[in-house]
Amino acid sequence: MDILSRRGRERLIKYICLLLTVLAVVPLLWIIGEVVYNGVSAINLEFLTALPAPFGESGGGIGNAILGTLIINAMASLFGIPVGILTGMYLSEYDRTSRLGSAVRTVIESLSGVPSIIFGIFAYSLIVLTVRHYTAIAAAFALGLMMIPLIAKATEESMKIVSNDIREAAIALGVPKWVRTTKIVFSIAKGGILTGCLLAFARISGETAPLLFTSLFSFYWPIGIDQPMASLQVLIYNYAMSGFQNWVIKAWGASLLLVIIVVSINVIVRRFAKPKYKAGV
Amino acid sequence: MSNSTKLDIQNLNAWFCEKHALKNVNVKIPDKEVVAVIGPSGCGKSTFVRCINRMHELIPGAKASGKALLDGVDVYGGMDVMDVRRKIGMVFQKPNPFPNMSVADNVVAGLKLVGTHSKKELAEIAEERLKSVGLWEEIKDELKKSGASLSGGQQQRLCIARALAMNPEVILMDEPTSALDPASTAKLEELVKKLKNEISVVIITHNVSQAARISDMTAFFYLGELVEFDETRNIFEHPKNPLTERYITGRFG
Repeated sequence: MDILSRRGRERLIKYICLLLTVLAVVPLLWIIGEVVYNGVSAINLEFLTALPAPFGESGGGIGNAILGTLIINAMASLFGIPVGILTGMYLSEYDRTSRLGSAVRTVIESLSGVPSIIFGIFAYSLIVLTVRHYTAIAAAFALGLMMIPLIAKATEESMKIVSNDIREAAIALGVPKWVRTTKIVFSIAKGGILTGCLLAFARISGETAPLLFTSLFSFYWPIGIDQPMASLQVLIYNYAMSGFQNWVIKAWGASLLLVIIVVSINVIVRRFAKPKYKAGV
Repeated sequence: MSNSTKLDIQNLNAWFCEKHALKNVNVKIPDKEVVAVIGPSGCGKSTFVRCINRMHELIPGAKASGKALLDGVDVYGGMDVMDVRRKIGMVFQKPNPFPNMSVADNVVAGLKLVGTHSKKELAEIAEERLKSVGLWEEIKDELKKSGASLSGGQQQRLCIARALAMNPEVILMDEPTSALDPASTAKLEELVKKLKNEISVVIITHNVSQAARISDMTAFFYLGELVEFDETRNIFEHPKNPLTERYITGRFG
């Protein structure tokens, strides 16, 4: 094998990778571009703060849907993030081999593949049918359940790759296991766990199906978490299909806003959780 | 030469599932001396050392029986296991500083995670211990950097400082120089010799001449048995067992 052909092959592989990367990125940028292009004209102060205008009238905003999405996502995160992290911690640090552990692991893995509508129907039959009205609690429950497998898996994997040498160092210092798990292994794995949480958050921010069964929609400001609540997702779904020009533009604006919310939460959280040390695991 | 006994190990046996890894070992570790543990790979050196601070039992399927009396108190029964590990420190083959902590925090990690020391006390202990392992002058301007940013030899001395910060009575070292370059190894050997002014040191080594250089007593293990335990001078000049002689002269292992 002469050296030129090896270099040639090296370059070929590099350019194939580059080409495929471009193929992957172009549609993404396209979508974002389209959303920005169509949505930006809809955004103004009234759009952000006012209630929706009745069908057929121009003007109005989506303030209640923005607030609703924030409330529902916050409640879902409050439920899904702690449960997900503790489950992952259990699987990585307390139970790697037993039957219970592998059963939990299998359930987690299957749950992350379950279509979101199933979570919606589950929350619907469990909560909505019991209390006999649509409620944001059921929405947060469904979305929180969806977050758990994603976060648990990310936590388990991030903690598992922390070298055993580090655990032994803590053991040899006489540090109790729970301190070792929370203050050392968890702290080292934090970056990966955070990524998992943000991905889960982004995922639920785009889910519409579970919300149609649970929080449904409201044309008014949220008055209680046990009531139906407007959300950007359902608003986009309703408005985009309405065929009414004012609403279609608002659906584009709402889409843009959803993207902005997810991206800015991503940026803010990462800024605050910047690791002190860059050194590897 | 022998001082009083610090650690009296009686009828120690250890198993990995069915495998009998350590067979009826009896050793008296003297106070404030360096004991080298030598023997071919798989002879039970590491198991022996990990039985002393009760880390052996953490491996699934592993168990141990016998006594290890630290100043007359059995680490298997008379003491809380966390106390055992605080009084008997350990340094590993691969340097393992905590990558999520600064150099200074690494030194006092054990105290910080479980103790109630003030910030000022912790800073003083960190400085004192970094001085006693000879790192202070080298890294006093880098105390805020990550523990993992130091060189291998510095990391290993940092790990020793971390063990010393717990004020242990015995320190166990499992081949602490096998991942280090010759210069770092020499520094670490000097440190080991200095440490025995304060505490007992049990050091596993694959390097027979290192055992000869730094230890007062040497234990030779073979196939899970303690073949010979004597003053290092006797082991190297007049070994009683032909196996010991063959091993230290490099004819097997």
